[in-house]
Amino acid sequence: MAAGFKTVEPLEYYRRFLKENCRPDGRELGEFRATTVNIGSITTADGSALVKLGNTTVICGIKAEFAAPPVDATNKGYIVPDVDLPPLCSARFRPGPPGEEAQAVSQFIADVIENSQIIMKEDLCIVNGKLAWVLYCDIICLDYDGNILDACTFALLAALNNVQLPAVAINEETGLAEVNLKQKTPLNIRKYPVATSFAIFDDTLLIVDPTAEEEDLATGTVTIVTDEEGRLCSVHKPGGSPLTGAKLQDCITRAITRHKEVKQLMDKI
Amino acid sequence: MRGSRSKALHDRALVNCQYSMATFSTGERKRRPHGDRKSSEMTLHLKQTFEAAILTQLYPRSQIDIYVQILQADGGNYCACVNAATLAVIDAGIPMQDYVCASSAGFVEDTALADLNYVEEAAGGPQVALALLPKSDQIALLEMNARLHEDHLECVLDAATAACRAVHAVLDQVVRDHVREVATLLGE
Repeated sequence: MAAGFKTVEPLEYYRRFLKENCRPDGRELGEFRATTVNIGSITTADGSALVKLGNTTVICGIKAEFAAPPVDATNKGYIVPDVDLPPLCSARFRPGPPGEEAQAVSQFIADVIENSQIIMKEDLCIVNGKLAWVLYCDIICLDYDGNILDACTFALLAALNNVQLPAVAINEETGLAEVNLKQKTPLNIRKYPVATSFAIFDDTLLIVDPTAEEEDLATGTVTIVTDEEGRLCSVHKPGGSPLTGAKLQDCITRAITRHKEVKQLMDKI
Repeated sequence: MRGSRSKALHDRALVNCQYSMATFSTGERKRRPHGDRKSSEMTLHLKQTFEAAILTQLYPRSQIDIYVQILQADGGNYCACVNAATLAVIDAGIPMQDYVCASSAGFVEDTALADLNYVEEAAGGPQVALALLPKSDQIALLEMNARLHEDHLECVLDAATAACRAVHAVLDQVVRDHVREVATLLGE
């Protein structure tokens, strides 16, 4: 009976639950799904992390390569993020060139890296004007069940935290770079940005960590990225129903608590 | 059925595969995850393998998509894909003639080796990929590259077949355990 009601009137079905301050999957409105993180599972990558938020699963692999630094900033390296939402993660994606959503998520991740200064690009420079690291951060979604932004941001952070770069010395005679694979150093992570997403229901109710179903029914979404000192790195609200300043403040408070939860998980691994 | 309807077959289902390798799956970063020549070949092989095993005539005018993604490549990519896809097809409840189990085998210094890893593959010896329907003992796909003396073929195939049967035992156990678990949950 309940299943039939859900199919015919999904929105009304959700409203009945939300009225009682809970959700069909048993969570409260402000509760995240179980989060798990696994790092270093891919040995061919220089750093990797697998993050699960309930059913949502993303994997991030980081590959480091050499490149010449950009001409306008000779003391900097590059960080190149890319998010892939392949057709295997959900029936809503089709094979072919990256869809709108994948590009939007990629850009969001690029903005988070830029705004939060997660690592200083100067740290990636090996020889000024000659040689620098490029970090290709490829994020692949393996199972899409909503809240992809939080999962991707967390996977990126955990993978960057796992990166071990080999020592590089420049041979004076030949001028070529020599890599010492035995001596590896971790990256200097300056900030720990953590994203927290909310779905807006019926223009007023805020629910945290929406599933794909909830995202489809919601009238809008908000994503807040904070660092470990509670400073905002990004506030992302792509259209949807308008929100009052007070509600946004509530979101920020919740985001700061979420940061602590994520930090605890990060410290454990 | 999505995309062009002209591809639809009036008497059976169309099997569509896509094989892609994550950019970080190999030692050297991959530029294109799919669509290069090697991936296209792999896609075709997977499609042929599963067309042979799935009872496509039960679903006329429909399409079955099989997407596989390599996260870390350490040899036997084709075989891992086939074994994973078999389980996924079973999980989807699509009827097949039998499990498809695959294993690679090689031949180094007069010894047949089953399930080559990346180093053994890169060494450049003869290499066989075998996809087997173990119950009926039929070969769905067999591919060999490099030269191998006819006399040695049998022992290499035996090694691959034995490995396929071992894979079958593991897959079958997993499926049975899963079904048992789901059945208990549904029974409650």
